[in-house]
Amino acid sequence: MAIPYEFGYVKPTSLQEAIELKGKFQKEARVLAGGTDLVNEIKKGFRVPEMIIDVKGISELSKIEIVNGQLLIGALVTFSDIRKSQVIIDNMNILFEAAGMVASNGVRNRATMIGNICSAVACMDSAAPLLVHEATVHTASMDGKREVKIQNWFVDNRKTAILDNELVTHVSIPIPTVKYAGAYQKMMRYSGEDLSQANVGVLLFANGDCHVAFGSVGPTPKRSLKIENLLKSKGISVATIEEAKEMIETVIAPITDVRATKEYRMHMTKVMFERAMQTAMERIKMPKIITK
Amino acid sequence: MGKITFKLNGETRSILVEPNEVLLEVLRDKIGVKSPKCGCDSGDCGACTVIINGKTVRSCLILAIEVNGQDILTLEGISKHGLSPLQKALHERNVFQCGYCAPGMILSATELMLNIPHPTEHDIKEAIAGNLCRCTGYTPVIEAIIEVTKKV
Amino acid sequence: MEEYKYIGKSVVKVDGKEKVSGAALYTDDLEFGPNMLYAEIVEGPHAHAMILSIDTSEAEQVPDVIAVVTGKDFPYNFGLYMQDRYIFAQDRVRFFGEQIAAVVARTPQAAMKAAKLVKVKYSTLPKVLSPLDAIKEGADLIHPNLKNYQHVPWFFPKPDTNVAHHRKIRKGDVDKGFADADYILEDTYEVPRFSHCAIEFHAAVAKYDLSGRLTVWASSQSPHTQRNLFAAAFAPLGIKHNDVRVIAPHVGGGFGSKAGVTMEIIAAAIAIKVPGHPVKVLWNREREFYNTYQRLGVVTKLKIGVKNDGRITALKHDLYWDAGAYVEYGANVVNAVGLSAIGPYRVENASIDSFCIYTNLPPGGPYRGFGYSEFLFGLESHMTRIAKHLGIDDVEIRRRNAIKEGELTAYGAHMNPNGLLQAIDAVAKEIKWNEKLKSNDPNIAIGKGFSLFWKAPAMPPNASSSCFLKFNEDASINLLVSGMDLGQGFLTVMAQIAAEVLQVPTSKIRTENPDTDRNPYEWQTVASHITWGCGNAVRKAAIDARDQIFDLIVRTKYLPKDMLYMDDEKVKCKTDPKFEIKLKDFIINGIQMEDGTFKGGPIIGRGVFMPEFTSTNANPETSQGGHPNVHYTVGAAAVIIEVDKQTGKIKVKRIVEAIDAGKALNPSLVKGQIIGGVLQGLSTAIYEEMKFDHRGKMLNPNFTDYKIPTALDVPDEIVPIIIEVPQPDGPFGARGVGEHPMIPVAPMIANAIDDALGIRLNSMPLTAEKICLTMLERAKKEKK
Repeated sequence: MAIPYEFGYVKPTSLQEAIELKGKFQKEARVLAGGTDLVNEIKKGFRVPEMIIDVKGISELSKIEIVNGQLLIGALVTFSDIRKSQVIIDNMNILFEAAGMVASNGVRNRATMIGNICSAVACMDSAAPLLVHEATVHTASMDGKREVKIQNWFVDNRKTAILDNELVTHVSIPIPTVKYAGAYQKMMRYSGEDLSQANVGVLLFANGDCHVAFGSVGPTPKRSLKIENLLKSKGISVATIEEAKEMIETVIAPITDVRATKEYRMHMTKVMFERAMQTAMERIKMPKIITK
Repeated sequence: MGKITFKLNGETRSILVEPNEVLLEVLRDKIGVKSPKCGCDSGDCGACTVIINGKTVRSCLILAIEVNGQDILTLEGISKHGLSPLQKALHERNVFQCGYCAPGMILSATELMLNIPHPTEHDIKEAIAGNLCRCTGYTPVIEAIIEVTKKV
Repeated sequence: MEEYKYIGKSVVKVDGKEKVSGAALYTDDLEFGPNMLYAEIVEGPHAHAMILSIDTSEAEQVPDVIAVVTGKDFPYNFGLYMQDRYIFAQDRVRFFGEQIAAVVARTPQAAMKAAKLVKVKYSTLPKVLSPLDAIKEGADLIHPNLKNYQHVPWFFPKPDTNVAHHRKIRKGDVDKGFADADYILEDTYEVPRFSHCAIEFHAAVAKYDLSGRLTVWASSQSPHTQRNLFAAAFAPLGIKHNDVRVIAPHVGGGFGSKAGVTMEIIAAAIAIKVPGHPVKVLWNREREFYNTYQRLGVVTKLKIGVKNDGRITALKHDLYWDAGAYVEYGANVVNAVGLSAIGPYRVENASIDSFCIYTNLPPGGPYRGFGYSEFLFGLESHMTRIAKHLGIDDVEIRRRNAIKEGELTAYGAHMNPNGLLQAIDAVAKEIKWNEKLKSNDPNIAIGKGFSLFWKAPAMPPNASSSCFLKFNEDASINLLVSGMDLGQGFLTVMAQIAAEVLQVPTSKIRTENPDTDRNPYEWQTVASHITWGCGNAVRKAAIDARDQIFDLIVRTKYLPKDMLYMDDEKVKCKTDPKFEIKLKDFIINGIQMEDGTFKGGPIIGRGVFMPEFTSTNANPETSQGGHPNVHYTVGAAAVIIEVDKQTGKIKVKRIVEAIDAGKALNPSLVKGQIIGGVLQGLSTAIYEEMKFDHRGKMLNPNFTDYKIPTALDVPDEIVPIIIEVPQPDGPFGARGVGEHPMIPVAPMIANAIDDALGIRLNSMPLTAEKICLTMLERAKKEKK
């Protein structure tokens, strides 16, 4: 289908050039990386910009690397890159797992994780892994660099803390100093590509700490300190997991829509939480964490 | 209107495009390469699959202007050298019915075989899961890919 | 058993190479040059409203816009079985998204921009979104004009109601049958609407040239029927059938959606307004969902009485079809089911009422299975429930009631030869029906389900097929037929039939999708009749050609005709082993005689087939007395599933399906139909559902939220079994199998869920969510 809207296109080759452009056009410019969300939205006439800034020419945004105990993932890193990255497999198994459930291969080859959290549609797969790993989003603009903690990043469905003159350069994830293992569970209507109707991420640490996040069950994905504190204070066991499952009712607020009812979403979130906990508990026992 | 230059099926092409032209349309309507099809126009069905720099992508979700300097492969680029072993197996086994999903499906399987020469059945399913087909029930496609990748 | 060289062999598809190489061209792939115009449709945003005014002035001002057309330009009715449809809405819209107008422009962008500027004023009317509401006393009428619509003589509309057709069966004495029953089960089942989801959109390009010639290129199952309906609709403009030409390129999937006439007539109509320009009308995925035929929804009330041994004593089946805003095709689904809703069983006392009900939802129409999937969901669920109640095995109760050759159908005709019992036994054996399966995982329940199926082609009694067969100089053949290869392999099978009769290899037979100017008449490629009907025509054409060849040999070589035979592209003689003559030596240029003259000339065969034993003349109150169906294709299927008790998710471990193909002309193609059809059936059973909001607007017109399965969702194993009890009037004994494979899937899954979990679901789809919430509900009740 032809696009009946007109817009400009520019492909800067440096970050400096890109932020100057973003500063000039402000919200009238949209940043293009993979484009799997952006092009779809433009086709539907949703937020059609004056200018598209294609950042694929800025090579420094493609990095996946560890610097000073921080795992850095750049704005051009696709879900397929994540699936192929030994650094991710070794250090952030939950993101590796979640990335494998995003859409299908042909989309993962193009769609970026940063694009996913910038679109910030409530059903995104990247949020729960980033939340449990306490990631930080790094932005750049003519005013300088800014860091936003991931839990403050998601403001509402499709709304983030980004400013009109900013673009996201990367996220950073602190590598924990104790052993840890994550697990991601996604509620889908079938095994093939589907948007999550609910998702759960858990990250267990060898010192008994644990992080728990829920997605698609409210306008923004979020961690539950209440559940984490329960598990931390009483220790992780069949009984406390059961107790935490019941607590989920007070933590999330799923809705009924064309994809699922709130009752099923609530029930499935509990089941998925339990299964994610079991999987993570098995994984943390392994000498080397293996995630498929 | 800007000029872009890219490789298509091994040949260098230069054309003028507007920023709002989508790669799928440019390939089909401006260049006349018809094997990529439109089946949903929103990245769900995979009928528009082409390979850019060795990776399958949805050409309905890519602006043509983005492919400046890239290397694009469509099914025409494979077939011009004669049918590949995979195409032969699909043909001899009467796998495809309406054939509309075939170009995208074959490209997805081609990418898989480049990355994993001897894939598992799950690898195969995962690789073609983004290519919707309403006719075959997929099993015959999967079996043909297994046949080809078991050889060698 | 006769030995065949081409029949019964898994010959590779004649269009296979085109499809795997990317060479196959579909309608939207064709080039029409820079003179082409593009149309964009303006749709109504109400399910039911009067159109007060349409202002096109602003749209007309958009640069590159050539014309804006509305219903006023085309005040014509059309329709296949009932002329209740309009090219564009006239005074009222009857479903959300109905076409009101179209903008024609030099670029798609200009058409899209201008379409947004067409201003339509409406006055909304009360809408009716369910069939049960539509038949209530005082329900608002969707077609106040119903009494004036032309329709086929076997439809019975009820003027001044929303009932467009009512098919009634009264056979035997139902009251007595129920009185004789030891057990009666009565319940209601619900089946929602489904979408075909061919991956190719509907597409049509039409050109009305400056000499008055209308050519339409369309993604079509019905080129000749489209030509006929176009010519009929545009007759007031002086257009005759021979002025209209429909060309059908490859089709990217049909499943019924591209049968009859839908959006193609919009392209044709617009073209007439802009002579000299090809006009392209391309549907998109959204419209593919809400403005083409949909599978009809239905509410069925089913009552079956049985003796303690499981024998059926009476059956009462009331079906309330949600047929949508226009029923010109969908009403025949209702009719077909009305005639067959006893299922493949011997039922001496039957009462069936099948109501075709207008609603303010998109038009219902043909969909693979033509209503049989819908009513068999309830019927085959019922059979398992009855068996369970009586303590009889699922397979046994079906064996005891299975209809046999010569027994009477619901309308009183004799059942054709069939392999239903063989199919039941083959499936039971292959699935190891008697073996009880137990899950080792307390969280997983295992269940088995069984179902039978049957279906007859639903056609007018005089639906016909024809064929021209032309030889070329090298004895290769052009086989001209007008059936459509939708992927099922129709053309390949036609080539095999001609090859067998003439002993010319299929590789030397070219046969392609039709052009109505060049290819002879075919009714439509629907109803799983084309292998049977057109196959007979091809066989006759080949025999005709062979006769001409033999006659020429008799005339020139003085050999006895009944001793001649074809072999290896030659004519040979049983009584003269030394004699042989290559076809290529005479097939065009004849045979030279001793005096130097030639006899013969190009060999051209013709074949026509029409079933001459069918009739729809019957008592409308009972449907007894006619012979509306040509024959039934039957079969059986079974499934093993695993259900996750916590999530309700089903994993299909194994499906076995046996179908009586009469004769599988090409076994690999039959198996392809079974494997593909089973997955389509599974998908409607557990994933798909069209959802509408309170305004009648479809909520999920996209693959993001209308889920059709991917390669990751296939059953672990599907075992196709072919049964061959020949159809006496079929080509080499064949009958159709295209639609049938999907039919038994939904009820057998419902039966397997019941077996695994002890819950009975009466409404499709049987989603994980529905299973899970039903389980939770039950657990809650048990707690109390």
